[in-house]
Amino acid sequence: MRTTTPAPAASHTISGLGPHGERASDPRRLVITASDAAAARAGGFRVAVVLHTLSGNWSEQHLAAIAGTLGDVSIPLLDVIDCEFDPDRQIAALDRLIAERPDAIISLPVDNTAVAEAHLRVARAGIKLLLLDNAPTGLLPGKDYVSLVSADNFGLGRTAAELMAEHLPQGASVGVLSYDVDFFATNQREIAFTKWMTTQRPDVTLHTAGFGAPHLAGETARSFLEEHSALDGLFVVWDEPAVPVLEQLEELGARMAVTTVDLGEKVAPRLADGTILKGVAAQNPFSQGVAMAQVTILSLLGRQTPAWIALPGIPITPAGILGGYQSVWRAPAPREIMEMRESRASGS
Amino acid sequence: MPDTSRPNGRGRKRNSETPSRSLITILNLVRKGTADTRQEIERTCELGRAVVADRLATLAELDLVDETKTGIATGGRAPKLVTFHRNAGCILVASLDQNSLSIGLADLSGRLLTEHHEAMELSLDPRGILDRLVKLFDWILARHTDAGTLWGIGLSVPAPVLTPSSETFLSATPSFLPGWEHIPVVETLIGRFDAPVWIRSSVETMTMGELSAGAATDVDTMLFVKVGKRIGAGLAVGGQLFRGTKGAAGLIGQLPVTDAGRTGPLEAMAGADMIQREGLAAAQDGSSSYLADILARMGELTPFDVGQAAQAGDPASMDILSRSGRMIGHSVAYLATMLNPEIIVLGGSVAMTNDTLLAAVREVVYRESHPLVTRDLRIISSQMGSSAALVGAATVVTEALFDPDLMRGWIVQGVPQTHPGFRAARDAAADRLTTTPAPPTPPAPSL
Repeated sequence: MRTTTPAPAASHTISGLGPHGERASDPRRLVITASDAAAARAGGFRVAVVLHTLSGNWSEQHLAAIAGTLGDVSIPLLDVIDCEFDPDRQIAALDRLIAERPDAIISLPVDNTAVAEAHLRVARAGIKLLLLDNAPTGLLPGKDYVSLVSADNFGLGRTAAELMAEHLPQGASVGVLSYDVDFFATNQREIAFTKWMTTQRPDVTLHTAGFGAPHLAGETARSFLEEHSALDGLFVVWDEPAVPVLEQLEELGARMAVTTVDLGEKVAPRLADGTILKGVAAQNPFSQGVAMAQVTILSLLGRQTPAWIALPGIPITPAGILGGYQSVWRAPAPREIMEMRESRASGS
Repeated sequence: MPDTSRPNGRGRKRNSETPSRSLITILNLVRKGTADTRQEIERTCELGRAVVADRLATLAELDLVDETKTGIATGGRAPKLVTFHRNAGCILVASLDQNSLSIGLADLSGRLLTEHHEAMELSLDPRGILDRLVKLFDWILARHTDAGTLWGIGLSVPAPVLTPSSETFLSATPSFLPGWEHIPVVETLIGRFDAPVWIRSSVETMTMGELSAGAATDVDTMLFVKVGKRIGAGLAVGGQLFRGTKGAAGLIGQLPVTDAGRTGPLEAMAGADMIQREGLAAAQDGSSSYLADILARMGELTPFDVGQAAQAGDPASMDILSRSGRMIGHSVAYLATMLNPEIIVLGGSVAMTNDTLLAAVREVVYRESHPLVTRDLRIISSQMGSSAALVGAATVVTEALFDPDLMRGWIVQGVPQTHPGFRAARDAAADRLTTTPAPPTPPAPSL
């Protein structure tokens, strides 16, 4: 027997709290006036960006939005650094950038604890620190960093659970593949997914396993499936590790409902196909990048900025992928995806 | 947990006759950073070299100090640094508030290793909230298996906690909120996690959080004012929290204030309920199109919405926050004049929302307090958010665990669970649980 749960609709509300329990601020309240833009152009500011990775659409869209929005007010990007998820690489990059004295650094901390001191050194050097997606433990807004911009990661986890629920039979067994690194965004997603399942679908039994790096997720999934062979569903906390997991499932011929977060270029065709991947709770990376650039400009002009700016996620199902793709990537879906949906719609 | 049956480095059997007083003194010197070399310890404690060496060997064997690092030479051989092993154990902390549940994991110095905050209504079923807390604690421990043995649990709750001064360890849940009288919070946590539990009001924990890691780390006298649904004050003197005779110091929310011809308790007249009520009226009577728009879109209006609207320049919201700030300012001015603090920190959900309330409090306190009081007085908003309560709860636990009187009961065994007082409290808590069944707990660390 299947338990039907209505598919989630896109929402403008933020269900999570910030890294220090803050209520989210709406990015629509970040307004750059003409006089702000003129002051920013006259300021001669320089900004550097330090990301966890530069590969993938998520980073590309963020960078495009940050570079474009800062470029609109003539603020050049001094440097853009790929940390490859490596805390040591991030620490070295931050220390090198401190010596170059940019006015602001936009950073996505790759860990909660290992890179905390390096980020504190940025703040102590008088450089404005703006955080994307994660705030290292112990760093405080207004004191150690200016603002955090992120998706509503708690809402994304909840949405992923809602998207999966309609495909789960009564008494289902569901796996959660979480990220072993202590990271605000993925912790929120895992907690929210599990909370929703335990409160809304108490009939579901949950099993959890963790992977230490995205490329290890496939191996984790394989051993996880050996231990729990009768899974009805599997949640992977973001799309990059979901790709090797989906490959493993396809190789093993496993059939279960998978949901994840973010509509990367490698999961989009699988969502369009809809055989295994049943839903994606997507961020809006371009909008997040714009918000990040706007809050950077306002902070450089000495304005008070919110501690946490959060953007709601977008639930995307196989049937809604064309609109969802456009909403997330600000571009038409690739022909391959259009044809897959047409083929599905015609039943061929 | 160290094997306490092994002999120590000098070949002597460690037993209750070990001079625990010097162990305690040395550990606290090292823990607080007062002394970090053998020479400094000898000088500060006035103990001989052999005694200090023996005690340090014992503390190292208990995994509480470390001597592997070398300091800076000042003429001769570089001294070995004696450092506190803050990862020898860990502390679970949680904060219950009107609209949120927060949890964290801290090391033995009280430093937060990780934290999580989620929305939750305190008006919900208390057993469901306790069940959620246990699940989150299970999850955080499972995610941090390298954090060491659990040494204690600190809880922050949004009301005064009247704890019996005769009890070193809690074995029963003290009364702190209506509706929670029969909920075995302490008993459940001791039974589940086998660690001692301390409970303090959120005003107290947030005050300690600001002292430990916030705006008042280098301050001797601080007044902390929490502004939310309830309004309360915490006082720190000499870097220590002042609790009063029964732990009820700072309940300023009951003090009467007058505004526009009406007199009532401060928290009813100026707290989050008033801000929400007045904001709703402004949205409905047409005096704020900004709030009316939020109400229409969201179907409700929170005090946070009114605070954000004031921050965005909505005149009606700014007026509401200013009135609240002025009433709070009157009460705070009296406290400031009595106590002459170096700093006043405004915390809590309402105070941290915007600057309008802060400006109004400043205006009144600076105008109404004695000029000598306000000469160098700083009045600021907290930057710590709900983290202050978690850091403070961890500080409550570390200060209790390393209190010399309490440490005497466990130091020779190396972990607080061996304290006879805790063992008795654990048994008493278990007995109480058999007569008051606890909510079901999950078999695995799923959330």
